[in-house]
Amino acid sequence: MTISFILNGEDVSANARTVDRLSDLLRDAFGLLGLQSDCRCGRCGRCFVFLDGRLVPSCILPAFSVRGKEIVTIEGFAQTEEYRDVVEGFETAGLETCGFCKGPKILAMADLLERVPRPTPREVLAHMSSVPCRCTDPVALVEAARAIVERRAGRIYRRAGQ
Amino acid sequence: MLVSEIHFPKDLAEALELIRRPGILVFAGGTGILREQGGRGISLPGEVLFVREIPELRRTSLTERFLEIGAAVTLSELLELGDSALPPLLAEAARGIGTPAIRNLATLGGNIAARDRFMDSWPALACLDALVELRDRGGATWMNVNRFMGDDGKPAFPEGGLVTRLRVPIERWDAFLLRKVGPSDYPAPETAVFAFAARAEKGILAEARIAFAGDIALRSRSLESSIIGRGLPLSSREAATIAEGYKSLAAALPEGLALQFGVLVDGALGMLSR
Amino acid sequence: MLYVATVRSPSARGSVRSIRFPALPAGYRSILPADIPGRNAMVSFGAEVPILAQDKVSYVGEPVALIAGPDPALLEELAAATKVVCEEEEPFLNWESFSSDQVAAKRVAVVGDPDLAFSIASNVQGEVYTSGAIEHYYSEPQGAAAAYDYDKIAVWCATQWPYHVRDSVALALGCKADEVSVRPTRLGVHLDGKLWYPSLLACHASIASIACGRPAKVLLTREEDFRYTPKRVRSSVSVRAALGKGGELSALDVRIAVNVGAYGPLADEILSQAVIACTGAYACPNLRVEGYAVVTNTPPGGAFGGLGASHTLFAMEAHANRVAMSAGEDPMDWKARNVLRKGSRLLTGELLKEEVPYDAISARLASASDYRRKYAGYELVRKRRSGRSDGPFRGIGLAFAYQGAGPFLSGEASNTYTVEATLDKDLRVRIFTSAAGGAGAVMDIWRRSASGILGVGLESVSIAPPETDQVPDSGPSTLSRNVSVVNRLVARACEAIQKRRFRDPLPLTARAAYRVPKPIKWEGGQVSGSPFDTAAWAGAVLELELDPWTLEPRTLGVWICVDGGHVVAPDRAAAALRSGVADALGACLNERFDPSGGGAGSLDYFRYGLLPLHELPPINVDFVEPERRAPVKGIGELPFDTVPAAFLSALSQAADAAFSSLPVPSARLIGALGGP
Repeated sequence: MTISFILNGEDVSANARTVDRLSDLLRDAFGLLGLQSDCRCGRCGRCFVFLDGRLVPSCILPAFSVRGKEIVTIEGFAQTEEYRDVVEGFETAGLETCGFCKGPKILAMADLLERVPRPTPREVLAHMSSVPCRCTDPVALVEAARAIVERRAGRIYRRAGQ
Repeated sequence: MLVSEIHFPKDLAEALELIRRPGILVFAGGTGILREQGGRGISLPGEVLFVREIPELRRTSLTERFLEIGAAVTLSELLELGDSALPPLLAEAARGIGTPAIRNLATLGGNIAARDRFMDSWPALACLDALVELRDRGGATWMNVNRFMGDDGKPAFPEGGLVTRLRVPIERWDAFLLRKVGPSDYPAPETAVFAFAARAEKGILAEARIAFAGDIALRSRSLESSIIGRGLPLSSREAATIAEGYKSLAAALPEGLALQFGVLVDGALGMLSR
Repeated sequence: MLYVATVRSPSARGSVRSIRFPALPAGYRSILPADIPGRNAMVSFGAEVPILAQDKVSYVGEPVALIAGPDPALLEELAAATKVVCEEEEPFLNWESFSSDQVAAKRVAVVGDPDLAFSIASNVQGEVYTSGAIEHYYSEPQGAAAAYDYDKIAVWCATQWPYHVRDSVALALGCKADEVSVRPTRLGVHLDGKLWYPSLLACHASIASIACGRPAKVLLTREEDFRYTPKRVRSSVSVRAALGKGGELSALDVRIAVNVGAYGPLADEILSQAVIACTGAYACPNLRVEGYAVVTNTPPGGAFGGLGASHTLFAMEAHANRVAMSAGEDPMDWKARNVLRKGSRLLTGELLKEEVPYDAISARLASASDYRRKYAGYELVRKRRSGRSDGPFRGIGLAFAYQGAGPFLSGEASNTYTVEATLDKDLRVRIFTSAAGGAGAVMDIWRRSASGILGVGLESVSIAPPETDQVPDSGPSTLSRNVSVVNRLVARACEAIQKRRFRDPLPLTARAAYRVPKPIKWEGGQVSGSPFDTAAWAGAVLELELDPWTLEPRTLGVWICVDGGHVVAPDRAAAALRSGVADALGACLNERFDPSGGGAGSLDYFRYGLLPLHELPPINVDFVEPERRAPVKGIGELPFDTVPAAFLSALSQAADAAFSSLPVPSARLIGALGGP
């Protein structure tokens, strides 16, 4: 079947079989290698995308289920100010990753702060548990969230002052 | 390679026409269906009814007496209703399901309609005496979720029909407890959820409900009836006698779960004994 | 590009009678053992693993054939539809008691006169400690790709040992080693799960590429990886301790059985590491240790966060705590009495040349965690309680251990490593080593070292990609070599350049090679040599409580204090230790599966998960001041060497029960507390 949807801000179409996972379609048909089709049961977070603004694991989304929807991958999100906030926050906190989980962690952190503008440490850790990885330092994650919140607040205040 | 036919009904009427087709699979969030498919391709039956976008299944409404939740409302959307709308026992159950990303897809309807075991929302909904609306072309039926528990404690979800809404009574509860037990979060034979809710009026226990479910469910109206009407706090002898009754109920559970159930019953009754 | 799917044995042990493929569409082909151009064997530490099992199968899931084609989803269906018929034999699944046929390696060592010491001991205590399988859950499932690149076969895979991949592929293809070019991809966190298995997949990809004349990729799904690639080996360690009147350790009798699965490719090394570490951090004048690596018909076992020492370090620490507790003594004092000191004689007969920083570490831990007061208080509660209503139940445990870095101990693997460095005319430095591919933090240490010695900016130092036709063989990246041995070789190569640079024209290249000065030798019940180049030390305190509602253990805090020598980047080291502690806690609490039925099943895979981050306790990391001119030491394994024993002891105190393996099933825990 032909699936039409909005991908990173553009109208696209692709041929998909009913057996195809969205994660594989995005990688194979659109060359979006920033996500991985890893656990294939929605638990590892490596395939995260935004579906109509909601963070979801694309490996348990059949390709057919996104027709007419808006999908944003890490590549699309990387064009936004929110992405830069998160990346700067990670750097400020010295948060290092193994490389494989960095994109998903960025999306998960952005999603958290969209929903909970000033999360507690427990809220940060509960949310970021959706990207389980052996490289994770819990202290750095909490610190990164704090740094991003401060950075955003600073920007809002600066804009208000303009 | 099997090619499935996917139906995208635009409204409930269209879905109810299609639900009659033998073997058709209802697909909302899909988290239950795809939970145990680790292969490259997704395996689906010949016909799939994709209900996620049906507007009638996506509504919620709140009155003084009930909260009504469309079957395709996601768990995240449910939690976003907030503490003032959502019974705390149900909120606690929903928060414990999956991860935030999974909750953005998983639906309450999908959770309650699982056939192979009782999923995490059942004990809370059972304690709250929630109702589920099942519809087919012939009409609608409201069923108490407790009727999804067979005489043997196994899931007995009625065949045919589409889950369209859940109706959760809004009541005051003075004590509640919800705990997931087991070595991991994953739904498996050694995991289950315990729910307890109680209400007192003028120092008398007016309501007390205990439900426990995983592969098998436990709930006993007769034991609950034996507790109701007693003065609070319960004496330690009363609590011990009631606990014994529950522990014998748990004989059908695997040893680890039976022990954990017993410990939680002790804890719940302990709340009524202080 | 073609993808490759694996056809697997349905039987744990038997003979292959037939393999019936479904009708393969055009563009798809099957690959059988007869299609292997070279030898059908991958060699690892003296053990041979078939690339495709030919006549005999040895574990459920063993590769028996491959199918190559363009659509990975269809390939999966074709592989699932392939019928492999085996004439089954009774599999060897027992390993705690076993037949001599199953012994892949045996190590025995005797020091002093243990029989005499036991006969005159005031107190003898024994217990058997078991450690279960753990999934690495590394950053990426395993896979490999291969393609012709002019006159070579190029192979891509994430591997800790690029030269092992090269040599394995050359053997399988029957070509020369320099006709294979291995181009390692990003490794991420591996926890020692990518030592030899990537070589097997590289062989599969290479054979498929040659057979089909096209690039070929084999990529395991996470489920396949979980079920069929090596997991941490299971172990059973029996520790019997003889003690004098004053609680001094006079003798140990240790028996070790390690279940290495089929073929046992790391059997010798894992066993050797476990045996060398069997006395833990303690001085023991009389010792008998007997260790067996037992082959079973389960997927080949492997290393996990170290090669085998953590099994016996866990057992020894747990036993030391139990002995102290049963004598009514604080384990912190018992350890102080018995810990190794400078001048103590080691298992190998050598005298320990360094101070063991037990006093400094234990003092810091005691202060940070309030260990002494809590231990005494929880002991009082433990002894006086009468029932469950006396809760909440708490416990606190202490463990002290080391992490050795350096050579392989089994004598099977080459212990020769080489690093090369070049200073070019633009005063840019390039470092060439096959070990580049591990943690970025470690490569930064090399760069700093080079920058400091040659007086160039850090931005002028780069590490060459570890492609085997461009870099020398620096051995496998394990046993903390990258931070110890390779780091020293980088320094030596740069020093050699520095000596010549003002008299010889640039560019200048220097090589530094390492040979183990005193290789370990096992002869006639004696072991000699130097097992480690460096040893880092750590103590861990763990406090926990039993959840009042469910009686499940909840960790309240972990304190870990490390002597890591010269810690170049303390913040990064602390972050690595925190994530290591989180992983070790997962192994204590919820990371479990039991492959004793012949291997892991699908449900085991779906159940398995890391500990959620919000369930972690506060993790406090501290470093002791290093000795002057202390070397850089590997510290990544220290959480696994200490936290599980501390957890076990804390749980045993909280539940007033003697546990000897982790995780403890809830039924046992509740039963120990008197049931509901």
